[in-house]
Amino acid sequence: MPPLELLLQQALNGLMLGVMYALIAVGFTLFFGVLDVIHFSHGDIYMLGAFAGLTALAAATAAGVGSGVVALAFAFLASILVTGLIGVAAERLCVKPLARASPLMTLLATLSLGLVIREAVLIFYPRGADPKPFPRLLPQGGFEIGGVAVRYENLVILAIGLAAMIAVDLVITRTRMGAAIRAVAQDAEAAQMMGVDLDRTVDATFFIGSGLAAVAGILSGLYYSEIHFIMGITGGVIGFSAAAIGGLGNVYGAILGGLVFGLLQTMAAAFIPRGSEFRDVVAFGVVMLFLIVRPRGILGARTVERV
Amino acid sequence: MIVVLVTEALVFVLVVAGILAERPRALMLTAVAGAAALAVPAAVPRVRATLARAFDEHRVVALVGGAVGALALPFALRGSPYWTFVATLALLYVTIGQGLNLQIGTAGLINLAGAAFAGIGGYTVGLLTVSAAWPPWLAVMVAPLVAVAVGTVLFVPILKTRGHYLALVTIAFVFIFNVLMNNFEFTGGPQGIKNIPTLTLFGHRFTTAPRLLGVALPAHANFYCACLLVATVTTIITRRLHDSWLGLALNTLRDDEIAARCCGISITRAKITAFCVGNFFIGLGGALYAVMVGFVSPPDFDFGYSLVMLSVIIIGGVDSIPGVVLGACLLVPLPERFRFLHEYRLLLYGLVIVLMLLYRPAGLWPAGVRRYR
Repeated sequence: MPPLELLLQQALNGLMLGVMYALIAVGFTLFFGVLDVIHFSHGDIYMLGAFAGLTALAAATAAGVGSGVVALAFAFLASILVTGLIGVAAERLCVKPLARASPLMTLLATLSLGLVIREAVLIFYPRGADPKPFPRLLPQGGFEIGGVAVRYENLVILAIGLAAMIAVDLVITRTRMGAAIRAVAQDAEAAQMMGVDLDRTVDATFFIGSGLAAVAGILSGLYYSEIHFIMGITGGVIGFSAAAIGGLGNVYGAILGGLVFGLLQTMAAAFIPRGSEFRDVVAFGVVMLFLIVRPRGILGARTVERV
Repeated sequence: MIVVLVTEALVFVLVVAGILAERPRALMLTAVAGAAALAVPAAVPRVRATLARAFDEHRVVALVGGAVGALALPFALRGSPYWTFVATLALLYVTIGQGLNLQIGTAGLINLAGAAFAGIGGYTVGLLTVSAAWPPWLAVMVAPLVAVAVGTVLFVPILKTRGHYLALVTIAFVFIFNVLMNNFEFTGGPQGIKNIPTLTLFGHRFTTAPRLLGVALPAHANFYCACLLVATVTTIITRRLHDSWLGLALNTLRDDEIAARCCGISITRAKITAFCVGNFFIGLGGALYAVMVGFVSPPDFDFGYSLVMLSVIIIGGVDSIPGVVLGACLLVPLPERFRFLHEYRLLLYGLVIVLMLLYRPAGLWPAGVRRYR
């Protein structure tokens, strides 16, 4: 039995990763809800969010904003806005026109779109091929509690992630637009008959999902102090895995799935020999096994096939 | 008959010119000629009908002419070892594409692990020849079987999951394969396996440049001929499978599993057969790649290549045997042709694929309706 402190420490680290994964996964699950498609370029939208945040921070510094908090708030807002709009553009151009085609078409189209986004950042961002250092704006230092080292910046990241999730939950459960999103997810045709504007609802969903990915992107920049144009590949696959574990279409499932994936990674890294190298093997292996045993995910609705 | 031969000669000249034209003016001229050659049959229905009838009546002539053209290509490209290599690569993608098309196109099994199965073929050749000192021929023949054997790991997901979930499982499989190859010591880690011995045939090493009919050809022409043979045989086999009862059963279960079961098709058997046969050809393509290039490493088989394989069959035409050939022969060389665009190459590649999907979703050579005579 590993010592309790180590277990708790790894649980905290896993929670950190899990919050970021969950934010990406919520996007996947929302898009699947309204359009029944997997938006594979979502991982690269997440990467784009990180780069938009970095650019906004640089702009804020250049404009002479002294306070780190103000600069960070500006970066979050700007990045959510820009990334959200790009997400909507991606949906209009590439996802919705193909939503009625076979899953194979949307799969290849969104994977290719991801390639385009990735290459665009590589080419058009100054020295885009190199990993970019992300400024450390969060309070440094930390404290120890029960043998577990807690860093202040980790707490801030957790708090921001949690706030974003709560905000989305409120939007979806309490607002008119949220009700429209839920209605479209249940039955798009019936929702339209009740006067829901389908196009606007889909746009709003993609804005929200992509905005969340932008938050995840900036958080990952703050956490690793570095962003790279290829981070979207693994980010996207992990986000999709998390959404699938949780049950596609279910927002709470996606959050749960993200946390499970983060915990799996850190626990595998800590408690399996040479685990840090093979942690993704363990995590993806568990995902594969899980989908075999429970193909609809933890909170996914059971569907009965009708002829 | 004359029409067929003239058309094929014209296509051959255009292909060679398209590959070899270097100066801007020659390139422009070729592009204009190529566009015209495509536009005329597309715009004038009578030309199209005449061509279709001629090719239909003289199938044997058309096939023999195509074979002569394919064999003549290395002679036309003799000044450029690089382009001979690219042409060979395209042929490998034909082999891989046919295998993958049987899985994705015919059976509807979304397999995004193509790169991993090609990698298993390639790594098997590397391990058997370098570490176990097997003769390369034997290793190339065993490697596809190893790919099929490793594929058994995915039997349960293939049968239990569908659509997006199956896509995720196979993506996870590629990632796992890559992490394992990067971290195992016996596969050489990130360096991979170097110095894989090349093939020999009756004492002729495939790395020595051949002289045929008094013409010195680049060394890759050996592999070109071998891969042409393999690609042709693969295409014939997959075509026969596609036209057989198995192909019909696979099409049925792809479109409606319940209806297929009602017709007495064993879903399990049909899916497993398609998956194994497909993996065999994908593994064969990877194995030939390993002996041709002489080394394998993890980045040669990462997820991006699964994407290329998928685009080959979708742009060619899902479930279309000639479409796969066309897709591979276009998508593999074209990015090389546009090397002068430097870093914009992949960006444009992605854009072209997205545009193709939006405006021509059935592919360049859509699968026709089955005909039974």
